Amino acid sequence: MNEDLDARLRKALRPVDPGEQFTQRVLTRVANEPKRSIPRVSKTTMRWASATLAASLVLGVLAGHEWQARRTQQGLQARRQLLEALRVTRDKLDIAYRAVNDKDGSSTEAGEHRGS
Amino acid sequence: MNRTSEELLSRALAGDAAAFGALVRDQQRSVYSLALRMLADRQKAEDLAQEVFLRLYRNLSSVGSVAHLAFWLRKVTANAAIDRLRRDARYEAVPLEEADDLPSGDAANADPLLERRLRQLLQQLPPAPRAVLLLRYQDDLDPTEIARTLNMSINTVKSHLKRSLAMLRESIGETVP
Amino acid sequence: MRFRQILITPAAMLACARVAMGATPGALNLPNFDALTQKAAQTVDITLDAALLGLATGFLDSSKPEDAAAKEVIRGLKGIYVRSYTFDRDFAYPEAELAKVRKQLAAPGWQSLVVVHDNRAHSNVDIYICMDQGRASGLAIIASEPRTFTIVNIVGAIDLAKLHALEGKFGIPRMQLDEKK
Repeated sequence: MNEDLDARLRKALRPVDPGEQFTQRVLTRVANEPKRSIPRVSKTTMRWASATLAASLVLGVLAGHEWQARRTQQGLQARRQLLEALRVTRDKLDIAYRAVNDKDGSSTEAGEHRGS
Repeated sequence: MNRTSEELLSRALAGDAAAFGALVRDQQRSVYSLALRMLADRQKAEDLAQEVFLRLYRNLSSVGSVAHLAFWLRKVTANAAIDRLRRDARYEAVPLEEADDLPSGDAANADPLLERRLRQLLQQLPPAPRAVLLLRYQDDLDPTEIARTLNMSINTVKSHLKRSLAMLRESIGETVP
Repeated sequence: MRFRQILITPAAMLACARVAMGATPGALNLPNFDALTQKAAQTVDITLDAALLGLATGFLDSSKPEDAAAKEVIRGLKGIYVRSYTFDRDFAYPEAELAKVRKQLAAPGWQSLVVVHDNRAHSNVDIYICMDQGRASGLAIIASEPRTFTIVNIVGAIDLAKLHALEGKFGIPRMQLDEKK
């Protein structure tokens, strides 16, 4: 009896595929994401990058370039944080908007006006 | 461990969008199904599943392996669905249409009405026991894995399973042996 | 589901006095939540003052709808501060710290705009606005659920209509299923 219910549950809860369009929609949203600024790189690449950077510092040629790169990274990070902050804000506002606009939901819905 | 999936993960980490897309295709069924059975609403499930993959994209560097990827996705999906159910002031149980189901390979023993009834009964469970049941019977996790995914004790998982199954048995008319 | 709504009519807005805590109207003194970072499963900790908002503006791409909408919203803002923590279990965060923030919103100048309480889901969203000579000078949102709390403080000339217009650009597509992305 238990096994029968188990088998029935497994059949009833067979996974459902959302379809190819789902993948496209996700990728569209991903395409609008800011590029990941710190991709994982191999150790070999890391060593190479470090050696190159050391040589540049010794020559003193890239001092201005470094500042620019840092500024760019800060700017991209600020942009990323801004978009995230607005997302969070929008998410919370949406809860409130939906509650306010809900006309036929809870039977306990009540509107009060306060203030002078 | 699937070498192809590991390669996809490595390439996705390096910024390969096509590889990330392939990972989404590999995992979307599991993520979407969990969201769908939890929220009982196709649009909400699609919304949630999209958000989970977007979160994955943003946090890909914290996923160390393909095995961890599956765990990560289940954990985020299940907990996000639980939070959504608790938060959503206008949650309604919407019976899922048969069109959602894929054809079963075992047509001779299929009982679509009973299966639909079981899915409806699932929606009567509170969020946490519902998630436990889904992870057990849809994703085939054992109680230890379920406990880890939902950050519950194993005893709580077992208790949810026992009570939920008892409710289902009683509702569909089976007697407990 | 039970929720309570309290709405403020625009004509009833009071002038905003300088708040007791914080030098800038519309700005809150946010608690230090560093200790929660270790315990939280997810953390969003964002501090964007006027300088950083200006810097971010320079990196927004007007050809992207999300960026263009953001540019419109942040025009005239002096700061955006977000603290959001999600935990693996219920009520793992210090309610007393949220109470400290709510206390600041009881000071003169802040007005409650919307209060949504869902007693069954144990979730709350409180939205406050600070008015200065008939213009909004700050927005505060305190949202709490069993496993998550979020505080948002936006300082400056916030435009709620533009914030609301972000729907569909930032979040998940809503009911318009035929909307192209």
